[in-house]
Amino acid sequence: MTTKINFPKRQEILFTGFGGQGIVLAGRILGKAAVIGDHKESTLVQAYGPEARGGACSAQVIIAEGTIHYPYVRYPDVLVCMSQGGFDKFIGDMKKDGTLLIDQDLVNPHTVFPKGNDKTYFAIPATRMAEELGRKMMANIIMLGFFTAVTGAVSITAAENAVTESVPKGTEKTNIKAFHKGYDYGMAVLKGRKKKASGKRGA
Amino acid sequence: MTNPKIILFLCNWGPHSAFQILQDEAAEIPLEIKMVRIPCTGRISKALLFKCFEMGAEGVALVGCSPGTCRYGTGTTNASGHVEDTRSILELLGLGKERLRLATFLPDESEALLEFLQTFRDEIGEMGPSPVVPTQAQKPGTDPREALQRLAALHDVFACQDCGKCSSACPLTLVGKPFSPRATANAAIGGQISSPSVQNDIWSCLTCGLCSERCPSAVDFSRFVRDLRDVVVENRVDTHAVHGGFFHSLMRTMTSEDLQIRQWEWLPDDVTIDNKSKILFFGGCAPYFDLFFRRHIGLKTRDILVDSIRLLNFFDIHPSILQDLRCCGHDLLWSGDKPNFLKLAKLNARVIEDAGIEEVVTACPECYRTLLRDYPEHGVDLNFKVTHLYDFLENEIDKGAVGFKQLNRRLTFQDPCRLSRFENRPDLPRKLIGRLNPMDFKEMRDHGANAICCGNSAWIGCDSFSKALQVKRIGQAKDTKSDLLVTGCPKCQIHLRCAMEDPFKGESLKMEMMDLTSVLAKTIQWE
Repeated sequence: MTTKINFPKRQEILFTGFGGQGIVLAGRILGKAAVIGDHKESTLVQAYGPEARGGACSAQVIIAEGTIHYPYVRYPDVLVCMSQGGFDKFIGDMKKDGTLLIDQDLVNPHTVFPKGNDKTYFAIPATRMAEELGRKMMANIIMLGFFTAVTGAVSITAAENAVTESVPKGTEKTNIKAFHKGYDYGMAVLKGRKKKASGKRGA
Repeated sequence: MTNPKIILFLCNWGPHSAFQILQDEAAEIPLEIKMVRIPCTGRISKALLFKCFEMGAEGVALVGCSPGTCRYGTGTTNASGHVEDTRSILELLGLGKERLRLATFLPDESEALLEFLQTFRDEIGEMGPSPVVPTQAQKPGTDPREALQRLAALHDVFACQDCGKCSSACPLTLVGKPFSPRATANAAIGGQISSPSVQNDIWSCLTCGLCSERCPSAVDFSRFVRDLRDVVVENRVDTHAVHGGFFHSLMRTMTSEDLQIRQWEWLPDDVTIDNKSKILFFGGCAPYFDLFFRRHIGLKTRDILVDSIRLLNFFDIHPSILQDLRCCGHDLLWSGDKPNFLKLAKLNARVIEDAGIEEVVTACPECYRTLLRDYPEHGVDLNFKVTHLYDFLENEIDKGAVGFKQLNRRLTFQDPCRLSRFENRPDLPRKLIGRLNPMDFKEMRDHGANAICCGNSAWIGCDSFSKALQVKRIGQAKDTKSDLLVTGCPKCQIHLRCAMEDPFKGESLKMEMMDLTSVLAKTIQWE
């Protein structure tokens, strides 16, 4: 996919959201996918405040071709926001040409990105889609699928395997379904942007 | 070919005088030409013209009076319309339009007539034999009484409790036709094969399936009628067929293997086709319908095909199309001509399989149902998947990032019986309609699995009651205050549009119609 980001040797990724959304799990799955599936190096630093349940929380993931000497993410290349608080707190740190992914029902990005400027970030109604699938808690997996599609930071097979290994036993099928829901949405968004850019918006 | 089979329909008036001069002079009228004297060229319908080709004629000439000399005023004008339409259908079918000619002569133009006949004979001779193999007249192979019992058992007609729910649901009974599914069921149970309830009524049944929907004993009346037609029919369907049996002729002609059909020649350049694709788009008969009805109701059902391919292209599917696919055979199956249905089914299945197709997409509910259910049910197994375009679209649109432009229309929807009732999926088109952005969408009083038929099926048994039924249905559509009647089947468009031509009801029945496929194609966009 030509619109996919040309992945550099070292990528800093920051997942943010509320405690309980599965932010840290998403970070762990991503790291596992990179290491076990794609044979790269990866680190995970999880951070949450005293209000672990419902409070701001983040997972810092670094994926690199070579050795990682410092595991903290200061200026993320990819920022994933599943809460307004996370967005407000970290958007200033994102690299200038970094990629922003948001849950469009939970984050209003218009304080930073004026309306009509929606090509600069990727939005998905992950939580709503998870509710439609029957389990709100799968929003993180949907977001991970979306992340895999639009950034290409990990391969899809690596991500799928990591999801299967990391989720509770018995929920693998539904989680893979959720992952694909997000992945397909991401691919559709990329395709839509490509079509729009080439001037072919309708049928 | 030394002895081409040529039919000459010769008008009784002007040209016949010229022909008689030739006979008197013992002129060399080509012996291959079989002359049929007719009262007026205007009365030779498209069905009659085409019938000759179905029966194996290699050339047909319709010879009438010169413009302005017609005994009845409009005969020659009508004839030229009929000939032009039939010629374009012959062209699509791969028979070649040159096999049918219209010529006009004054009574004293005998030499010109002779020259025309000789040249026509020579040209037809050069074109070679017709690829059409006339189909065998059907013979009732089984004892009809025994077959009636067998079918009644097969479709569980014996379970009929004589409760009358079917009659109270039947749209034909409700518009006042002396017709009752229950009466036919009773006659069948009693083995009365010659009863009018069997002999006549099975040709009136719309096979819409509403009675089976209501039947407390789940008698599958539509399929019972379908199979019974195959047993009862002796002189084929033609006596009950509408439009002179043109469409049945057309379908039977398509059973000839050597036809080089060219049904996609008209496709516009802006759609992308890739004949290496493993996904096939199955078009159906829409191009033929449009040509046949173009003078009557200005039909454009082939737009549905173009819009379907546009929608596939929108999602980066560039389907293959196959020129020599036949009609799916739905209307032959449902009008009692199983042997020819089977021929079409086998031909289609073979052509599709030879092309290495893995998935067939179609936008026509009849093609969908026939390929998916009736082919395997009649022993024609398919090694490819059959998908309705709506399923494909719903799946793709559900992935996200696709939206629909604002549509400043108020919509209502005419359910196609083969999808909404037979396949029991009235929710599928509604899911797609729900994604649109119209000003309003309102259901008609009878909708979904309870929807009323468009008035006809399988091109048989259309009468004034069908018309009354259609008027009633359009009235329901009007009652929703909608201004766009969305349809899901090309036949619904044809039948309802025909009803709207009613000269007495006039404007009160007019309502714009558009196929759901076209509505989607016109408004879909990437977000």
